[in-house]
Amino acid sequence: MSEDFPSFSNLPPSNQSQSLARFIVSATENSTPLAVSIENVTKVFPLPFRRGKGLLAVNDVTIQIPQGEVYGLIGPNGSGKSTAMKILLGLVAPTEGKSFIFGKESQKVESKQDVGFVPENPYFYKHLSAIETLRFYGKLCGMPRREINDRAEEVLDLVELQNARDRRLGGYSKGMLQRIGLAQAILHRPRLLVLDEPTAGVDPVGSRKIRDLILRLREQGITVFLCSHLLEQVQEICDRVGIIFRGEIVREGQLEDLISVEDQTEVLMRDASPELIQKIRALIDAEGTETVRVGKPKTSLESLFLEHAASDRKKNG
Amino acid sequence: MSNSDSAPATAGDASVTRPHKWLSLGRIWALASSTFTHLVRMKVFYFLIIFIAVIFGVGFLFVSLSFEQELKLLKDVAFGAMYWFSTIFAIVGTAILIPRDVEDRTLYTILSKPVPRFEYLIGKLLGVLLLVGVSLLAMDLIFSGILYFRQSTLLSYAALNSDPEAASQMTEMIRAQGHSWDLQAVVFSIFLMASVLASVSMLLSTFATSTMFTIVMGFAVFMIGHGQALARNYFLQGETTGAVDRLITVGLAILFPDLQLFNLVDGVASGESIPFNLLLRITGIALLYVIIYNFIAYLIFSAKEL
Repeated sequence: MSEDFPSFSNLPPSNQSQSLARFIVSATENSTPLAVSIENVTKVFPLPFRRGKGLLAVNDVTIQIPQGEVYGLIGPNGSGKSTAMKILLGLVAPTEGKSFIFGKESQKVESKQDVGFVPENPYFYKHLSAIETLRFYGKLCGMPRREINDRAEEVLDLVELQNARDRRLGGYSKGMLQRIGLAQAILHRPRLLVLDEPTAGVDPVGSRKIRDLILRLREQGITVFLCSHLLEQVQEICDRVGIIFRGEIVREGQLEDLISVEDQTEVLMRDASPELIQKIRALIDAEGTETVRVGKPKTSLESLFLEHAASDRKKNG
Repeated sequence: MSNSDSAPATAGDASVTRPHKWLSLGRIWALASSTFTHLVRMKVFYFLIIFIAVIFGVGFLFVSLSFEQELKLLKDVAFGAMYWFSTIFAIVGTAILIPRDVEDRTLYTILSKPVPRFEYLIGKLLGVLLLVGVSLLAMDLIFSGILYFRQSTLLSYAALNSDPEAASQMTEMIRAQGHSWDLQAVVFSIFLMASVLASVSMLLSTFATSTMFTIVMGFAVFMIGHGQALARNYFLQGETTGAVDRLITVGLAILFPDLQLFNLVDGVASGESIPFNLLLRITGIALLYVIIYNFIAYLIFSAKEL
């Protein structure tokens, strides 16, 4: 910083104001904490009756998520995704390393003020209705009663559970439980949302809606940290992705960088005639470039399903 | 989900960071009332119907007994019912709380909120004690009402006695066996005992791997707790002087609560009065047990990995 900011008093007045502005911006950028900072975290679960031996669940994992980013952690079952998440949420203590949420140590209770969490296959108190559940969690977050009531109505509307607000959760379907899970996670307007398999067991329509919600949250500057097996969905919504195998981060980076096939180029055309395609192929061959594939792009089963669902809704009003 | 642009300020608007309170009675009350609601919605209050039926039966069917026997029987049955309900509920009701929350992963969503673990334990315990307290209050009101009614009926019979001396004697004996504030002290002592048992159960459930284990161990503590005074007297009165025996005695006294201290039923059922300082003493002892057991429970639970 001293290279960028020579002695202030030696600068002419016009440069002084520019220099001061640069200083303030730089200082602000440097002091803005990361939303999530998992630093060299290792977790070994002790095995009963086997002294000195343990189960290495997470090994020297470092994940840093800037504010406003959607980060996806993907990996097979048992790779350490949930353990990493639980360490971040303070549910499990790391054997080594530390984790922080907006600069606050995540093992401390106050860091959770900024966090909303939806576990995999969420269960809530079955004896409570949706509105009672939201009131319960709202009180746990220290929200005033009036704010809880207003906000609960908003989020129930958002997750489309208004009609089931007074029904006990014991009678909810899996998809409904997932939605109430999201509702309680965003009720207190957290700055960080942690989602463990947010669309597990949810139908494509519900899944699409959850995806849209996550994108909307990102637009509002909320940071999202999610784990998922569903790679296509991760691909649709994440800015950055980390791949974890056997407790170690094996690859990490911007999604575009990770999934781009560097040595190939894709061109999509509409209503191209066979003659045009022939000409293009000839041009490619003349250049000495290999044609990998020529054919019709495929839609996805999900898109077909959604199209059908939308037209069915229109038909039935 | 609502995709409308006119949807209300929704998924986040401006994020809000609220200052964190180290101790929040609001959070504790939220946990306690949720626990209370949970237990109530398990329809445990249906037992009150059975209680009413039994008390009515005892109060009005055993008129062939002497008035003293009748009133004593009513008190014995009522206190017995209160005693066993409170014991079972304190142990079983507490034993199911934490394991169920862990199994259902409800605990994850609670502890991912800014809720200190000690508040979680206090809230849960308070919820159980609230249920036990409300139940005891209901039973006490029902029992006191019936006792007062029978007492009044018997007093009116006594007044009809032609011999004034006999009538006066009868009246005195009926009043001695009838309703008094000492009966409320007995109900309170039952509540204190239930509080101690609930705290033991809470402690056990923080490290137990199953609900059944907690319940079985809870009842074991209950039985040992009632025999602790006997064991203590046996070992300390010099029947045996072995160091191991004395060590066992000390261990018993520390680990297991002396539940016999809270047994005021026998005395009051016989018409004895309870001094206020005794009530204060057992309240202090109960509070000490509750604090110690819950503190140990907190130490174990705070290190528990979920």
